[in-house]
Amino acid sequence: MAKKFHVLASVLALSVSVTALSACGGNNNGGSAAPSGSASSSASASAGASTEKDTITMLLPPVSANYQSKFDQMAADFNALYPNLTLKIEPAGWEDITQKLDTQVNAGSPPDIAFIGSDGISKYMDQGMLMDITDSVTPEMLADYDEAPLNYMKRGDGLYGFPAYMSIQSIGGNKEMLEAAGVDWKNVQQNGWTFEEFRDAIKKGTVTEGGKTRYGFVFAVSGVTAKDYLNIMIKNAGMPAAFTQDLKFAYTSKNYLEVLKGIRQLIDDGSMPKELSSIDAGKRWNMFLTGQTMITGKGLATFENSAKQNNAKLEAKDASAVADSIPVEYVVLPMPTFAGQPPVSQAAVDGYVTFRGKKEPTPEHKANVVKAAYFMASGKVMAETNSELFVGQITKSAKEAAASLGGDRDPDNMAAVDVLQAHAAPARPDIPADLGAKVIKLEDEVIVPKFQALLAGETTPEEMYEAVKKAAIEEFGADGVVQD
Amino acid sequence: MAQPARAAAEGSNIKRNGVWSKAFNAIARKITGDGAWAYAFIAVALVVYAMFTAYPVVSAFIISFQEYKPLGSSFIGLENYKETFGDSLFWKSIRNTIIYTVLTVPVALVLSFGVAILILPLKKWLQTAFKAVYYLPVVASGVALSVVWLWIYDPLPAGILNQFIGWFGIDNQNWLGTTKTSMFSLVLMAWLSSHGTSIIIYLAALLGIDNSYYEAAELDGASFFQKLWHIVVPFLKPTTLFLFVTGIIGSFQVFQNAYLMTGGGPDNATTMVGLLIFNNAFKYFEFGEAAAQSLVLAAIIAIVSFLQFKFAGKDVEY
Repeated sequence: MAKKFHVLASVLALSVSVTALSACGGNNNGGSAAPSGSASSSASASAGASTEKDTITMLLPPVSANYQSKFDQMAADFNALYPNLTLKIEPAGWEDITQKLDTQVNAGSPPDIAFIGSDGISKYMDQGMLMDITDSVTPEMLADYDEAPLNYMKRGDGLYGFPAYMSIQSIGGNKEMLEAAGVDWKNVQQNGWTFEEFRDAIKKGTVTEGGKTRYGFVFAVSGVTAKDYLNIMIKNAGMPAAFTQDLKFAYTSKNYLEVLKGIRQLIDDGSMPKELSSIDAGKRWNMFLTGQTMITGKGLATFENSAKQNNAKLEAKDASAVADSIPVEYVVLPMPTFAGQPPVSQAAVDGYVTFRGKKEPTPEHKANVVKAAYFMASGKVMAETNSELFVGQITKSAKEAAASLGGDRDPDNMAAVDVLQAHAAPARPDIPADLGAKVIKLEDEVIVPKFQALLAGETTPEEMYEAVKKAAIEEFGADGVVQD
Repeated sequence: MAQPARAAAEGSNIKRNGVWSKAFNAIARKITGDGAWAYAFIAVALVVYAMFTAYPVVSAFIISFQEYKPLGSSFIGLENYKETFGDSLFWKSIRNTIIYTVLTVPVALVLSFGVAILILPLKKWLQTAFKAVYYLPVVASGVALSVVWLWIYDPLPAGILNQFIGWFGIDNQNWLGTTKTSMFSLVLMAWLSSHGTSIIIYLAALLGIDNSYYEAAELDGASFFQKLWHIVVPFLKPTTLFLFVTGIIGSFQVFQNAYLMTGGGPDNATTMVGLLIFNNAFKYFEFGEAAAQSLVLAAIIAIVSFLQFKFAGKDVEY
């Protein structure tokens, strides 16, 4: 009996453990996997001008506060424009959209369109699940877009959707504190600053009173946000992308080490909290609104709006204002530059990415998907959404539609964002998908963990640099990395 | 086909048909008799097991030899296993998981046992109330619990745990942000939550011990600890072994705490093997490598379970 029980226990233990992977066990070959529209439109006539009925499925997160509440209206407007086409929109939260999309992609039945960051394109392209829409896009559609954000949706010669906005990620300061620290913020907004100037400014902005410290600079770096901090910094040190133009891995450059040294210095100076490695996005924004830091990052254009809303609540003595917060005037600031390198802004381009299922999509369905993606990523829909987000319009049609929407943006901040946008890192569609996927894994498994250790004071910049270099050479070979 | 060959084939078919027909008749006899309902009930469980346990296991085994792609996978032999065994992060995650298991499982057993002993003498309604209180974290959302723990581990001086240690003159700690404290923080979280199931199982086992043993011991003048050591501990050995084995299996598969609290950081100090498998599968879409890693993990768990039964279960009667 005991022997039988041993065997049974072992089998059960195996089963229990392996069942953890049950979700991976999708069937490659069976099942109907094409997007809903593919099948229905398979009998359609000519591409583009087809009047056959078709349904386009979308998976969309709450891009702006009121975005999801307008889905019915969007679907109705689209249907009025194309009576034979129906938009079927599945809403998702920011916290679960990736999981939902990944599950659908790996089951071979993704939606036709999903709203994701352009940095996710490599991952899905590597799976062979993206739909290249180059041959279905009309010249009029292409002409509507600013070139820089549109390029972010390209890989190689293919176009995999339309961008919605290009949001510049930088930092933001408290105007009153900046002035008290003697920072000529208007000059900085227009002309930038070097790392040394920045370091000096945040030192001056660090004040200790009654045992409590107000820091000069706090950046959210807990978990994966660490990647943002590092990437934003290194872009201004001569490494606008992970790969050089000749496709060599760039983060083995000596400038990378200089950035790491600089980042550690800011903590050692006492200008940033020693507990920085555990500060998440919510915490640092709370610290900014409660006057515990002069500058915060990463900063997005919409933060000006958030600060204004909180100021209004404070003025109205509304209890929903952030506890212990103070009135704050948010000032958009650029990142400092290292080692005499030109400023390069980190741009987050999100948009409507087009997917395919297991079945090859018909030309008619493809044309319909393009119509739907363009409808969502331009004109009135995008104008309203981007206005809510305080980000610039990137299509002519949205710019026209936004003209009547007005807005309450600070003119200095608007001018500062224009400068930052002018320095936005260019898209790199030439980086192959497999290299892009390798970099993501290298960042997650080596760079971010080592960077967390650096922030916690458990490793030195030199040790981290060597660890990254070693891992990069293992991954890309000695000839595949920059050795300066 | 040549005549003799055809005859042989036909003969073989007749023989095969005969075997099938006998087997069919045997099954038919069984399921048309009194046992029909029994087979029907077993079938439900069997189908569920086949669909949700056996099929995924077989599927994971196959995927572990493939480069998985939704549009068509390709067989790559033992490449995923080679990657797994050559990956320093995999071994680090195994090491982390073992440390976590060694620190959490025995302490959790002692705590559950202690709490069950404390609850045992209480009145029935009070026992039920305590059981409900201790079981509550089991039914509570892990995400909600993590939010509370993140609040407790706030790294700034205003954090709850930092304020507490501040009373003893200790500087505030970056609980989840340094390699020195991050694993301990996850272990502390495990120590202070989710013992409900073990407490209830221990309590049920304690209630199963006949009072005559305690009475006889009392007549012999045994102290509380003597009764505990000579009566309770031996009687609870099968329960302890069960909880020990299932606790270790569960601990080897730990994923949620590391995922929600630290994301595996800092410097992969809390990357457990379950989290690594999840990341490979659902973050990087490397399902083949993830399947290989999960099978290696399953093998490790099977070996550990076997050793537990061999050494700890020698004199346990079921």
